[in-house]
Parts: sequence; C-alpha cells; structure tokens
Amino acid sequence: MQDQTAEKPGLLARLLAGQTAALARAISIVERDGPTVSALLKAIQPHLGRAIVVGFTGPPGAGKSTLVNAFIGEMRGRGRTVAVAAVDPSSPITGGAVLGDRIRMAEHTMDAGVFIRSLASRGHLGGLSASAARVADLMDAAGFDVIVLETVGAGQSEVEMAEMADVRIVISAPGLGDDVQAIKAGILEIADILVVNKSDLPLAKRTVGQLQAMLALRAPGDWKVPVLATNAVDRTGLCELADAVDHRAATRKMKGPRDALGGRTRRLLAQSVAKYAEHRVLNDTCATIDAVVSDLQQAGIGLDDAITKVLMRLCESQDNG
Amino acid sequence: MNDVLLAPARVLVTKIGLDGHDRGSRIIAAYLRDAGMEVIYTNPWQAIDAVVALALEEDVDVIGISSLATDHLLVPKLMVALDAAGLGHVRVVVGGIVPDEDEANLLAAGVSKVFHPGAVREDIVTEVERLAIAASNERPLD
Amino acid sequence: MNKIAKPVMSTGKGTHQAAFDEWQQNYHALIGEDKPVRNRSGIKVEPLYWPSDDPDGAYNEKLGFPGADPMTRGIYPTMHRGRTWSQRQLIGLGRPVDFNGRIKKILASGASALSIIPCNSVYRGIDCDEVEPEILGTCGTIINTEEDMDICLADIPIDEISIGLNDPSPFTMLAQMLVVAEKRGIDWKKVTGTSNQSDYISHFVANHMFYRLSLQGARRVQLDTAAYLAEHVPNWNAFSIVGQHMQQAGATPAQAMGLTLSTAIQYAEDCKARGMDPEKFLERFTFFFDISISFFEEVAKFRAGRRIWNRLVSDRFGVTNPRAKRFKFHAQTSGCDLTRQQPLNNIARVTIQAMAGILGGLQSMHTDGYDEVLSTPTEDSAKVAVSTQNILKHEAHLCDVIDPLGGSYYVESLTDAMEVEILNVIAEIDAEGGMFKAVESGFVQEMIGASALEFQDQVDSGEQIVVGVNAFKEDEDASARPFLKRPSQVHMKQQVEQLKKIKAARDPALLNNALQELRQAARSEDINVFAAEIDAVRAGATLGEIVKVLRDELGFGQPLVVA
Repeated sequence: MQDQTAEKPGLLARLLAGQTAALARAISIVERDGPTVSALLKAIQPHLGRAIVVGFTGPPGAGKSTLVNAFIGEMRGRGRTVAVAAVDPSSPITGGAVLGDRIRMAEHTMDAGVFIRSLASRGHLGGLSASAARVADLMDAAGFDVIVLETVGAGQSEVEMAEMADVRIVISAPGLGDDVQAIKAGILEIADILVVNKSDLPLAKRTVGQLQAMLALRAPGDWKVPVLATNAVDRTGLCELADAVDHRAATRKMKGPRDALGGRTRRLLAQSVAKYAEHRVLNDTCATIDAVVSDLQQAGIGLDDAITKVLMRLCESQDNG
Repeated sequence: MNDVLLAPARVLVTKIGLDGHDRGSRIIAAYLRDAGMEVIYTNPWQAIDAVVALALEEDVDVIGISSLATDHLLVPKLMVALDAAGLGHVRVVVGGIVPDEDEANLLAAGVSKVFHPGAVREDIVTEVERLAIAASNERPLD
Repeated sequence: MNKIAKPVMSTGKGTHQAAFDEWQQNYHALIGEDKPVRNRSGIKVEPLYWPSDDPDGAYNEKLGFPGADPMTRGIYPTMHRGRTWSQRQLIGLGRPVDFNGRIKKILASGASALSIIPCNSVYRGIDCDEVEPEILGTCGTIINTEEDMDICLADIPIDEISIGLNDPSPFTMLAQMLVVAEKRGIDWKKVTGTSNQSDYISHFVANHMFYRLSLQGARRVQLDTAAYLAEHVPNWNAFSIVGQHMQQAGATPAQAMGLTLSTAIQYAEDCKARGMDPEKFLERFTFFFDISISFFEEVAKFRAGRRIWNRLVSDRFGVTNPRAKRFKFHAQTSGCDLTRQQPLNNIARVTIQAMAGILGGLQSMHTDGYDEVLSTPTEDSAKVAVSTQNILKHEAHLCDVIDPLGGSYYVESLTDAMEVEILNVIAEIDAEGGMFKAVESGFVQEMIGASALEFQDQVDSGEQIVVGVNAFKEDEDASARPFLKRPSQVHMKQQVEQLKKIKAARDPALLNNALQELRQAARSEDINVFAAEIDAVRAGATLGEIVKVLRDELGFGQPLVVA
C-alpha cells in the first residue's frame, strides 16, 4: 500500500488532471476538515475561475433534482463536462442524513464527464453545506466546465448560494400552493433566471405570468431576469435554460474579475474566522476572556465592547504564539 | 488509528441484480440515518460498474447490499471490481435472504458481514459503525 | 331462512349490566397492570367483548346472508361448504421443462389450479441471453418465447384448468399462452384464469421488480388489454388488484386493504372513462392479498373489505348486478412473518395464516413453503404447504360452516373497527385526488414506509414477540437446515443456447414488421397495443424484444424512491 502511493502522482497533481478518484478523495478531506486542507486549498487557488458555477434552488416538490438531471444532459449534449454538489438536510438531532438527490440523476452515473457528489448540510443553515464553497473550488480545479450547486431547498432565503454561484436559478412549480408567495418573500431577489418546472401542469402558464408581473415591479437593472417554462421529463425548455445560463455567465464575466469567485473566497474566509474565534472563546483558558464573560454576565459591559475586547485578545495571542 | 469517526460515516445502501423489493433497504437507510450516518440511497437494479462508480464518487466507507431474491450471488463480482478500482478499503455488508452455503462464499469473497432476517437495529448499526471506522483507517490519505 | 337463530350480538347489554360490572371489578382486581393492546392496524383491543346494544335490524344491514348484500359473510350462498377454495400453488424453477415436470406432480397431489412464476429476469423484461448467468432461473421459470410457454404447459389442458399468470404489464406471458392455445386449436373463450400481477400501481409503490413500464404507459397497456380480453377472452380476469405487495412493504392490514380498494376504484374509473360498462367489467375484478399471522385482524380485514367493496361499487358506480359486487380474492400467506431461526416453526405460522384466510372467506390460496425465508422454496417444503391446505380442508373441517366466526362479539366489533380504519384510508386517498395521483406524489410510499419502520421498532424493542428471533431463542445447527438445489449452470447454458437457436430460426422480415407494428400501436392512441403484442408473439418476438419496444415508446418504469 505504502509503495503504491509513493509511485503514483500526488493528490494535487491527480486532482488537477481531473481524476475522479482524486476529486472524490479531496472532497472527503475538505469535508472531514483534516490537517492537510489548508495546503490543498492554497495549492488549487491559481487554478480556479474557469468553470461556470450554477446554483439551483427552490422549494421541495419543484423538481430540482429532476431538472438538474435534464440540465446535465443538455450540457453534455453541448460537449461540456459537469460536476454536481447536491445538498440534502442532516437531521438536527442525530446528524444523520439520507442523501437521495442523485437517484434522479442515475442516467449519468457511468458518464466520465459527469461527477456527482451528495453532501449533507451537517447543521449548516443557508441551503448548502459548510464545505460547499470549497467543494465547488475543488470541482473547478479538477477542470469541470459547469458546476451545479443544488441546495436543500427548504424554501427560505438561500443567500449563500447567491454569493457562490455565477448564475442563480430559482425553480418553482405550478400548483405548489403559495410557492410564488414564498419566492416573493425571499429568493426572488437573488434569481438570475426563474424557472417554472413541470410546464405540462395546467397552472403553469398562470405561474409564469405571475412571476413576470412581479419582476415588472422591480427597478430595471443591467440583467433582465428571464422566466422560463421547463418540463424536465420530456426536456422541454432545457435548451433555452442552458442558453440563458451561458448568456448570464458571459455577462458577469465581462464585468471584470469573477465576482462569484470573490464571493466564494470571502464566504470561506468569514466562515473560517468565525469558526476559529468560536473555538478559541469556548476552549481557551485565558484571564482576559474570562473577565469579558464575567463583565458581560453582570451587565458591566455591552456586547459591542465585549466583541472588540475578545478580538483584540485573539490577535495578541496569535502574535505571541 | 482512530477508534472513533471524525465525520459522519458515509454508507451506500443499494440493490444489485434483478429484484426490486425495497422494504429492507429503506429500513436500513433509516436506521443508519438515525444513528447519525450519511446514507447515499439509490434505485434498485444497479449494475456492478455503477456501484463501483457511486462508491468512488461518494467516497463511502461501507456499501450495504440488500438482497431478497438471489442477487447476492453477484456480490463476489462486486468485490473484485471494488479492488480493481482501488477501493479495497471499502467494507461490504449484505442483508436479506442468504442461504448458509452462500454466506460462506460471500465471506470468502471479502464480504465483511451478512445480516439475516431477524437482525436487530442495534447490531446492524454497531457493526456498520465498526466497519466504517475500519474503512476510514485504511482509506489512503490521498 | 326463519329457522336461523336470532344472532346473539343483538341482545342488549342492559339486561346483564350487573353481571358485567361484577366481572369488570374482578378483572381489574386480578390483572395487575393492564397494558393497552393494539393490533397491527393500530386498533385498540379490549380484554372482552359482550353483546352490544345494536338493534336487531342491524344484522341484515351489516352482515346479511351469504351471497346477499352486503356480503360480509361471503360472496356466494354456499361458500366453502359448496365449492372450497382453489389451491393455487405458485411455483417455478429453472427451465420450462423443469416447471412442467413439477406442476404435473403438484396437480396430481390435489392442486386444482396452476400458477406460473417466471424468473426474476422475466419480471424485469430481459431475455435470458442478457442476464448474468449466476442469477438465472433461481426464483422462477425462464419464459422468453411462445416455445417456452408451450413446454411449460405440455400435456396440460389449458381449457380445463384455471391458470394464474404472474405476468406484469405488458402481459407477454398471456400473449404467449394465447398463441399456444391458438396453435393447439383451443377456443380462447374456454380459457379461464387471471393476470395475477396486472396491478401496475402496486408495483410502482411496493414491488419494483414487477414495474416495467412508466405509470402512464402501464395505464395505457392495461386498458387496451382489458378491452381486448373483454371481447376475445371473456373468461379471463384482466384485473387482479394486489394488496400483497403493499402489506409486505410494511402497510398495516387496514392500510393495505384501504389502498387496494382505492386502487380498484382508480382502475374502475379508468375503465369507465374508456367507455366500458361497470356492470360487466367489475364482474372480472379480482383481488390478491397478503395474510399475516395477526389472526383475528386478518379475518376482520377480509370481512370488512368485502362489505366495503359491495357497498362502494353500487354507491360510486351505480352497479346493481350482484356478480359485479362480489369481492373475489386470492390470498397468500405472508412470507414476512416467517423466520430464518427454527424454520420448522414456519409450518405452524403458515397454518395459522391459512386459517385466517379461510375463515375470512377467500376464493383461492397459496401457502408458503416453510423455508421461503432461507431460499427459494424446495420441493419438500412445497409439498408440506399443499398438505397444510388439505389438512385444513379435510381434517379440520373448516369448510362445514359458512363464516364460522360471524357473530363472535369480538370478530364483529373488530370488523366494524377495521371498516372505519379502511374507510379512513380510502378518504385520505380520495383527498389526494385518487390512487394514481397519490402514488405519483409519493404520499402512499411515505405512509407505508412509516408503518414499516414502526413495526420493526416494535419487534426490535420486544414489544412484538417473534419466537426464535427476539424470544425463545435457541442455538441452532445450520447444517440441519434444508438444502437448497440451485438450477444447474449447464441447464441454464442450454436454455440460453436454445433461445439463440429460436431467435436465429425466425423470419427476420416478418419479425421486424411485427415489432414495427407494435411500435406504431404504442405511438397511436387508436391501435390496441395488446392486439399488436399477440401479433408480435405470432411472428416469434421474444419477451425482451416486446418489452424493449414498449419501454422505448411508453417510458421505462422508474420507481419513485422515497428514502
């Protein structure tokens, strides 16, 4: 076993060469947050920014996975390779999860140009998993042309996906009750493309009309959000969807450096800082932090001041240490 | 060597061959989920190659094959294919109706455990967790 | 009629209130902790049942006499005292010639009808030359061609025996059998039997092995087939609505009955929408259930189901023809209750299950081999299963009295309670827009999954005792278990070679033309698919070829997996 690993190229080289096994293993390393994560992520940084990252979100029952499946097929038909990170919720009580999104994508299992990874949200809020940004980076580094992030789709505002994706697709289906209402309340703002899936259902036209009416009320921007009707089963509207994705990705790239890539990096940084601070505050034995806690408890100090004091203390000790 | 898992165990629960009864695989998926594991669940009728591809992409620790008819007879082929794909560390368990003479063959082919009707939740969960730890320890670091 | 005694249940409770109170006091003094008991359907079971306050008139309304509405006590005036149930043993092993040899023996030992179980590869719609050889012929007979069917039925009078085919949509085995009958000069009008696995909805929900075509495609083929058979093979039951798969997948007995009746409602509505006459097509509806070991619950399930169906067909479909109101059913003892541990105990279990089915008033029965949980049943265990039925019929005298449990305070009360539960399930499915929609959305699958998990938890916790599994365990010598005979790999190779020969001997132009016609039929709404299928069999098309064309045109049957 040891000899074999010595002979074969390192994980990084194999990842950059697009080897499935290396990508799968790299994702596991990131998911398990092992000691080598930091070096791995640093090493792939120069290779990022080539892929288009497409986010799919929408309420349960809208047919997200089935639409992603059809979208993979459409992109493969155009000769593009596709990697998918599909997120399902973890149980808040046991931490376990049944990851079933890829059941709907079974037809692509044996296609070497498609990589699908199921991720559990592991208590992370915001529709993705804590590692999703890094998983997308790994897929980018492995050379996939299109990366799909499929969110949990609890119907809430899924802002995180908005920050990570180049193109944000919000899916709804006719007859989902007040789904249009839900979209209005939360995620309409983040959509680059609105999709009404299951277009064969009788209420589809009306839903498209409602969404268009809602969009008309918004201040005009430099991107006009299209409302597309799709049927993932017979693939109606998939060509239009893929065109719209490419078009949107191109307009965003023309605006200059990859703003979504910047968003991904920024979010990664924010998460890591928060996690670091949390660990230190909870675990350090340190007179300063103990004093801040005590002051806060006895209302001798405001929360704002407390945060400042703690951050300063963390910086000091980092310098010393 | 770790004797605990650093992250939830990842288990592929699937069916190969021709049969499509899924009461068993669904119950097992729920057991493992409720024990804090991450279960990748599939349609029945997976080809051997597809199971290997799934195990590779999802980087699972354990594969659970549910068999009610005689589909377990294909498992030795799966074991060979997993080895060839560099997934020798992945543990395979089989659950369902497996005659005794077949069980011996499966174990000889590298299957870690065969669960028969009447196996209880606690035993299944404990064994899968133990196997996940073993697989995790043997998984190549890169 | 007037000579039949006044049923005891109609005596008022009031007359013996004081005695009841005294019993209750004594009961509570002695019992200690009285744990609440619930049956598998969740119905609370009391320690004692006594004459209820029902007015006398309720007898006719709720029970009636055998053969008369609401048929709670049976669908025929004579029931088992006249004609007993058919013993329909499902068997199948290896090659068609093996099946033929075994079925002749089983018919000689007293079985009065025959059933054919094909190999799992047949269920999946694949010819044997495309299957991994290890799993070929291990669970049933390989029937890919009309020639295979001819060998299965060699020396068997197709027109004199009722035949059950485990033959999911698109019903290739039926097409093959009709062509065999045609070649033997047998009038199709004399062919009787049932398409036992015609219920594609139950396959979509709970038995994916049988699920070949998409929901919509299977619906189309089923209606075409029913219309064709009504005209050409009038004594064939095109519809067997199956509760067995759902109960085996975990539905409670009440849920299984409710979901099955909802499925039947769906099929009846579909037939009606196609312009068929309910007074006629409902005559040919048959049902197929699982019998669990929950003895009284199963008896009550069947009695309640019979009463509900009888009323339902007149309420919903305006049917007046008594033959169309009969709830005819086949039942099979449940393999789910059998244990791998101490397998001979399963003979006792099967006996109890069979009794519940008989006392529930079934028309036809299969009893499981005691080794089914170990492997595909062996010949010895199949013999014991047939004998079990003969013993119950002839030695235990279960057929002497019609509905012998009728009038039991408990059984009548439980029948009423099961009826309420079953009607609740039907109402839930109605609210989902009918069975087709309720399975499309996964509603039914989730209901069944939750029940399965709940039952398993009861077994795991020891709340439900299973002898040899969570109680009364013994160290066992595995070598004492029955030895399994697998089909010989040599025979399987021969079968594959045989298929290749048959395929090579066909007229390719004739075959391609017939398959093209089948494709056209599937594409066009106006051409009967089943008629085109029979033509394809006549031209030599195999199972795999027919199923492939229909999957291409009507969609592959992809189950909705609810994890």
